[in-house]
Amino acid sequence: MTQKTQANISLGDPTYLKLQGFLQEEAYLLDQGAFREWLNLLDPEVRYVMPIRTTRERVHGSGLVDQMVFFDENYASLKKRIDRLDTEYAWGEDPPSRTRRFIDNIRIKQLDERTYEVRSYFLVLRSRGNVPDYQILSGQKVDTIVVYDDGCKLKHRLIYPDQATLGVENLGIFI
Amino acid sequence: MTVQDVRGKEFRLSDGTRLQDLLDVENGYISARIVSDPELYELEMKKIFARVWVPIAHVSEIPNKGDYVLRYIGDEEVIVARSEHNTIHVVLNACTHRGMPVCRSERGNSSHFRCPYHGFTYRQDGQLIGVPAHKEAFGEALDKELYHLVQAKVAIVYGLIFATFNDNPPPIDEYLGTMKWYLQMMLQHTPEGMEVIGVPQRWVVKSNWKLGGDNFVGDAYHTFMTHYSAVQLRIVPSGDPKFAYYGVHVSHDNGHGLGLIGAPPEVELPRFYGVPEDIAKKIEATLPPGQQKAFERLAYIHGTIFPNMSFGYFSWATEDGKAPGSYLTLRQWVPRGPYEMEVFTWVLAEKEASDAWKHLARETFVRTFGASGMLEQDDAEMWSNITRATKGFIAREKLNFIYRMGINRKPEQGDWPGPGTVYQGDYSEQNQLNIWRAWARLISE
Ligand code: FES
Ligand SMILES: [Fe+2]
Repeated sequence: MTQKTQANISLGDPTYLKLQGFLQEEAYLLDQGAFREWLNLLDPEVRYVMPIRTTRERVHGSGLVDQMVFFDENYASLKKRIDRLDTEYAWGEDPPSRTRRFIDNIRIKQLDERTYEVRSYFLVLRSRGNVPDYQILSGQKVDTIVVYDDGCKLKHRLIYPDQATLGVENLGIFI
Repeated sequence: MTVQDVRGKEFRLSDGTRLQDLLDVENGYISARIVSDPELYELEMKKIFARVWVPIAHVSEIPNKGDYVLRYIGDEEVIVARSEHNTIHVVLNACTHRGMPVCRSERGNSSHFRCPYHGFTYRQDGQLIGVPAHKEAFGEALDKELYHLVQAKVAIVYGLIFATFNDNPPPIDEYLGTMKWYLQMMLQHTPEGMEVIGVPQRWVVKSNWKLGGDNFVGDAYHTFMTHYSAVQLRIVPSGDPKFAYYGVHVSHDNGHGLGLIGAPPEVELPRFYGVPEDIAKKIEATLPPGQQKAFERLAYIHGTIFPNMSFGYFSWATEDGKAPGSYLTLRQWVPRGPYEMEVFTWVLAEKEASDAWKHLARETFVRTFGASGMLEQDDAEMWSNITRATKGFIAREKLNFIYRMGINRKPEQGDWPGPGTVYQGDYSEQNQLNIWRAWARLISE
């Protein structure tokens, strides 16, 4: 195992590109509604958590709270959510939303030989029905991703929303 | 409380429509105009939210002296704070000088609130205690003693904090009536009672605020269709599509109501929602026999404290092969204009319970209710679409909602040990009509 490095992996590094490609592939699959393929990108031990943002004074920092969360998932519960979308009764996403996930500002640190901490900004645009206004979510993801010879797996995801009151009617979509 | 209360008044809207023509509570018809009219929205702020007791927070959210949270009464922001004397105060978050909010952090701990505009400073109970350059600026013209942030009256019932800006509200016990028995059962079945885990989730739904309360107070029937996915996936452990039928439907005075659902006799249910043994012992030692009997064999409670605080006490299985988890959720439907509400939702567990039990409660809650909840997602979809479909002129003029489920059924206590007007079988719209009766009485007063 290599030493935990503090420096970010630089932009053109092959590992950087590989992990960037992984995030883009993931966003693409989710936007296509290819949820089972997306599930294949997750480690069986995955943790998928979305803390809550609160509005606090500057001296109190980011206002993030993790005692209560918007998502508290593992592989089995994510699979349950995907199974649900395949019933004909998941009204909140049927007809489905049109979503577009944008990933940017990727910053990567190596944690051990195969494992990387990948921080990225996300912007999700969600269009539902004939309503021309988008539901918008933005924030930062902090991922732990393991790189194998035949591809990457998401092991841990923390989703930090920017909004203290979410501007989406529900979180029937994955981020 | 009868339909006479509505019919007796000749309250008219600005276009001449009599309120009584919008509600036929006797025959179970309610005009769609009631969930979409901006004029009625303004009347609700004035005649309902400024007058009744509104539950807005739980004591466990502000456990220490100086703790505060920001909440809403109607669509107006208030500070809920615990003073240095350990008393809880609720004040309008608007400065007495020009109306600037004196607190802009949604939670925290502070010995005082200082207005960012000119620096007036207030104690946690809202008393003005500091004015910058007092002598040069105001001199004798301002006596601090006389000024106070606009103050609400406060009542605490089993940890739930109620507030009202009505100077002469009814006593809280009278306002809650027989509903209080059920609040004790849900919120205070152990000596320390329930506590909020973390903070509330908050999000916005483009729905009239009343649709949430109308659903939670009595709509067991929608589970059959709206939540059929949860049946198919065995999130409802029994897998029975009619799971929400097997119980009682209970109305109380002043619009409060709830449904309490167990299971058919042949279906086994864990005792007291499956709480760990140490908590079960505490329940046995704490709850009076009637509430204990009621609480012993339940899987789902849903209800609404009028006007806009609903609750659910649920048990669901979110992973195959894993035992169901249970939790109490509170949810406030905060009005933001006639076509939008902000949902605040809390999850609670017994304060004395182990971290493992609390963790299971939180996990089960987040996966089933709240913004990402596999059940609640679909509720929001219904309510926002209803609001979209009913805000037009034609719907307002011509569409009457049918509230006739159970209209010919007589109250029947059966062996139910609890008070209120009890109906057997939870598929009914009596609780919903009961809300509309309370609503109409207040609007027409
Ligand atoms: S508005 Fe608050 S001090 Fe002037
Ligand atoms: Fe529902």
